[in-house]
Amino acid sequence: MPPPKMPDLSSSMKHKYVKLGYQYLVNNFPTLLLIPILAYTALELFRMGPEEILNHLNSLNFSLLHILGSSFVIMFFLTVYFMSKPRTIYLVDYSCFKPPVTCRVPFATFMEHSRLNLIDTPKSVEFQMRILERSGLGEETCLPPAIHYIPPTPTMDAARSEAELVIFTAMDDLFKKTGLKPKDIDILIVNCSLFSPTPSLSAMIINKYKLRSNIKSLNLSGMGCSASLISVDVARDLLQVHPNSNAVIVSTEIITPNYYQGKERAMLLPNCLFRMGAAAILLSNRRSDRWRAKYKLCHLVRTHKGAEDKSYYCVYQQEDDESHVGINLNKDLMAIAGEALKSNITTIGPLVLPASEQLLFLSSLIGRKIFNAKWKPYIPDFKMAFEHFCIHAGGRAVIDELQKSLQLSAEHVEASRMTLHRFGNTSSSSLWYELSYIEAKGKMKRGDRVWQIAFGSGFKCNSAVWKSNRTIKTPTEGPWSDCIDRYPVFIPEVVKL
Amino acid sequence: MSQLQEEGSGPVHGFLLSTVSSTQPTETGTTHERTGLDLAMKLHYVKAVCIYSAEAARELTVMHVKGPFFPIFNQIPWISGRLSRHDSGRPFIKCNDCGTRFVESQCDLTEEEWLRVSDRSVDESLVYHQPVGPELAYSPLIYIQMTRFKCGGLALGFSWAHIIGDALSVSHFLNLWARALAGEEVYCPKTTDSERGLPNPNPTGKEPGSIKRVDPVGDLWVAPSDSKMTTHSFNVTVKNIKTNFGANGNEFEILSGIIWRCIAQARGGGGSEPVTITIIRSDPNGLKPRAVRNSQMISSVHVDFSVAEAKLEEIVKSIGKATDERSEIDEIGESDDFIVYGAKLTFVDLSEVDFYEAKIKETSPVSVYCNVQGIGDEGAVVVLPAAVEEERVVTVTLPEDEMEKVKWELKKCGLIKTLINGE
Repeated sequence: MPPPKMPDLSSSMKHKYVKLGYQYLVNNFPTLLLIPILAYTALELFRMGPEEILNHLNSLNFSLLHILGSSFVIMFFLTVYFMSKPRTIYLVDYSCFKPPVTCRVPFATFMEHSRLNLIDTPKSVEFQMRILERSGLGEETCLPPAIHYIPPTPTMDAARSEAELVIFTAMDDLFKKTGLKPKDIDILIVNCSLFSPTPSLSAMIINKYKLRSNIKSLNLSGMGCSASLISVDVARDLLQVHPNSNAVIVSTEIITPNYYQGKERAMLLPNCLFRMGAAAILLSNRRSDRWRAKYKLCHLVRTHKGAEDKSYYCVYQQEDDESHVGINLNKDLMAIAGEALKSNITTIGPLVLPASEQLLFLSSLIGRKIFNAKWKPYIPDFKMAFEHFCIHAGGRAVIDELQKSLQLSAEHVEASRMTLHRFGNTSSSSLWYELSYIEAKGKMKRGDRVWQIAFGSGFKCNSAVWKSNRTIKTPTEGPWSDCIDRYPVFIPEVVKL
Repeated sequence: MSQLQEEGSGPVHGFLLSTVSSTQPTETGTTHERTGLDLAMKLHYVKAVCIYSAEAARELTVMHVKGPFFPIFNQIPWISGRLSRHDSGRPFIKCNDCGTRFVESQCDLTEEEWLRVSDRSVDESLVYHQPVGPELAYSPLIYIQMTRFKCGGLALGFSWAHIIGDALSVSHFLNLWARALAGEEVYCPKTTDSERGLPNPNPTGKEPGSIKRVDPVGDLWVAPSDSKMTTHSFNVTVKNIKTNFGANGNEFEILSGIIWRCIAQARGGGGSEPVTITIIRSDPNGLKPRAVRNSQMISSVHVDFSVAEAKLEEIVKSIGKATDERSEIDEIGESDDFIVYGAKLTFVDLSEVDFYEAKIKETSPVSVYCNVQGIGDEGAVVVLPAAVEEERVVTVTLPEDEMEKVKWELKKCGLIKTLINGE
């Protein structure tokens, strides 16, 4: 039942203890049930004494055949169990691309360029300024060199240069961190939604690092900001089939060819938010990696709402009246994101929530169906299931919405907000910058559970649950190493430009 | 795009504009004030060009050239900011890291062909110049143009708003860039308000003779002028000055005296002679360390005799008695719009400025040009060091209809050896 809000302090304290007691009881129910049974059995055994026990055993008349048969059956079932258990997927390590400081775009520079590029439409410039003021971005986000020109010069060469810069830098860093040799990569999955040249970006990586000819490579394009978790899902499935293998995932978004050059306001929004970024992740199913891996993959749930038209069209790439291609973001985006999240939670909830929360949610659901539909729906407390949250830094509105609907504290969404401030919306790689932030702050302890939630065009909501394998010591090497001491920063509601 | 420098059909073309800023964000709300002296200079812009040989600069890419500016702007963030006005109307600089405009261009000629022209005023097309305004908040204070010659040589042109600093500052900025390019750490100590003050702040209350009030220009900082100005540049040797024009004084004073007399003769005698001139030169008691600021001494010289007929010694002696007017200018600089260069016939001494110390791969530039934009109708003469130590480059900017007469006078007195029409 929904906990009523009581202003009275002493009764709210009482209520807290009742809730804690209830949770302890339900979550440890099997243990609590087992203790009396064991106690009774132990007492019985002591009462009987060793001679009586032996008499009991002899009377059971076990022949050699019986024993062998039973052992064989037990062994058979044990083998079947272990064979059918899915392989554990370990995240050995990952690295995030840190953009060169010469690519920095201060607010004033962005607005001046916007004014010069859109000289005939001051209303569009004003719109961009209002978006930027409220975006939650900081003054250190970066755009690729081609976009620094007035007007931008998005040639295919420039796009390839950006891809090479972000991907190769991240991969070099990954090789250094993990000691991985390029020739040892068994599976390579690259996801980049809006830039898909031929040969593919995965072929570009294979060419640069001279990877093996029997590598299993995959290039996912067009799958939006949630594609990183889709890549992890595909890698997980492949690693079930291929024993003793590793997989490298590269998540990025190439900005150069996708900077909208027109003046439609709904399509100018991504220009204000999307910034350069990339991440390279090493997954493995090898037992030898178990000791050095940072995380273990517990669950991965993908939800696709594309069957509904309004979800399908809410993030739509199209041409404007002047044939400029851009991405149209629908006004209902937040509502659709909320619904997609609800669907995802319905699946992931039973997998991760403790029994106490599930029971409460179930009784609330039954109560609303049977007794009174007006009862407030019980929102399960996900803070009991996870220590850390990585919400895709799609924009300030996304983070605000999720903080509200999951009832998270400011500290829980700090990683997301600070990633948005320092790096902007780096699309599919943002989850990894956020995870890196948590590690850099020294908050990642062994056994901590992390929930990564990503949204993307389609409309998709994908989430992954990782369990920390070891405590990560600070200082960490990563994109936050030179600035983590400045964070968290206070981000005003509206920045005065 | 409005107010753009016209590309024209000249040999320099292919303009690609981008922006260069700092790497570290400046705290929001930081501002930088300007003194009355700075504000008096606001309608002028320093234009400087350094040309480097192909051997030194061939391998430099655009990113190599852009890169060193970033750490400099970290040290001096206010020069990459934008102008704004207080409620009183007084301009100040908002340190918002907006950056400076960087222009890439190509030249169809080789460096040798370009440098063959003896009148170096052709270098003016290697400077991308835009005035400040009409919107102060969106006007970069510095424009940097990088021109690649057909042979691989490189020219770096600067258009520098005089409100932030003088020609010495431009040279300082360029030297910092060259040092950063060579991999050195760049460090610029911050100047405090007291250091930015004037050495002898005792204004006499007199109206300074070296500046002229102009009609209000609002937010478009272009010096109004009645005549179309033209520039002519030529080289002189120090030996020639010292031996053929005997007079006591350093070569700048002698040179100024000669040219003053020639201009006086060209303008005809009587009332149209310039009897007051402005001398702008480095302050020998200048504040250390080097910084970006308006540190030049602006002094005025007034004579009672006819310059056209006077002896050179007399003229040079008067020049030596120039009176520093900076305090007077500082007093009134905020109140109105002024021009300084060309308010009276102006002589600018840049002969000691270290442009040639800005080396790429330990090679000095092969040519340096420097002039001022927005020179008033009385004209200005800028004396620069040349690539060769014994020479000086003299750049004369005068109204178009006067230039030929003055050139003829200069040849008559022996300063210019040959006069080739059209050069």
